[in-house]
Amino acid sequence: MEDHEILRKFQDPASRNLAFNQLVRKYQSKVYWHVRKMVIDHADADDLTQDVFVKVWKHLENFRQDAALFTWIYRIATNECLGFLSSKRRKFLLPLTDVGADLAAKIEADPALAGDEIELKLQRAILRLPDKQRLVFNLRYYDEMPYEQMAEITGTSVGALKASYHHAVKKVEEYVTRSMGD
Amino acid sequence: MNSSFKLDTHPRRPRPLMSEPPAGYFDQLPGRVMARLPQTQARETATAWRWLAQLSPTLRTGLASVAILGSFAASFWLSGSPPLAPAPMPTAVLDAVPHAELVGYLLSSGTQVENADLAVLTAARPSIANGFLHASAEELTEVLDAQPSDETMYL
Repeated sequence: MEDHEILRKFQDPASRNLAFNQLVRKYQSKVYWHVRKMVIDHADADDLTQDVFVKVWKHLENFRQDAALFTWIYRIATNECLGFLSSKRRKFLLPLTDVGADLAAKIEADPALAGDEIELKLQRAILRLPDKQRLVFNLRYYDEMPYEQMAEITGTSVGALKASYHHAVKKVEEYVTRSMGD
Repeated sequence: MNSSFKLDTHPRRPRPLMSEPPAGYFDQLPGRVMARLPQTQARETATAWRWLAQLSPTLRTGLASVAILGSFAASFWLSGSPPLAPAPMPTAVLDAVPHAELVGYLLSSGTQVENADLAVLTAARPSIANGFLHASAEELTEVLDAQPSDETMYL
């Protein structure tokens, strides 16, 4: 179902639930993986993905359609992730590096990565990036999202995003190169 | 000497190597999300009262005062004792009892009822005492004539 059709049906109370169900089915995988890449843990990603869609439900009526529906949903998901990581840091009084280490420990325990040393080092390097820079890196490197769309999601200029991604790639490459010598 | 790592040369994946979510996760997720949504009724109620939030604080305070005063007035009005219904006259209660039952009661209560007691009744309705009062019309007329005039005027 096209976005405009989902939105049209959502406005009608009789078909609202059906339309929203379609929306969740359409975007759940993308939202989940976007969140999962940020929080690593499946249980956290599951909770946050549900939270994202509950927020979408609450605010969809006021969605002005000046952005694509998917961009708007991504923005909500991004804010949820950053809020989650920030609250986690505050809750446990952890510095940035310790949250990164916590996430790295989770990804190292993931059997999917077992035996792939380079991939493991790459993931460790990515998790050492500050949250917002990691977000930019994920959107560009994994999702191959255009900078313009990233700008809409993050509320940052295209130039700043390009610079952020460039620095992120350099940091990642340096870390992996260094760790390959260990 | 280590060769430097270049991201461009590393095989690009659509996402990092991570374990997949449990089997059937994406089949169940929509249902779990739908179960967490606020109820439609609550949503409609919230929408119905949204106008209240849009009023200025002064107006809201005024509206609250009016509502409180109104509820006081209403409770005062409703708590007053209801107007007393006029007590029915004793004779009205008796009037509601059928004459046949009254006569039956008098005859069965052991009291000696004489012609004089029922003369007035049979004068008003000659057929009412046919079954038990064995007196002719002339006898009843005599009894009535014999009664003092100050008693009959109240009957």
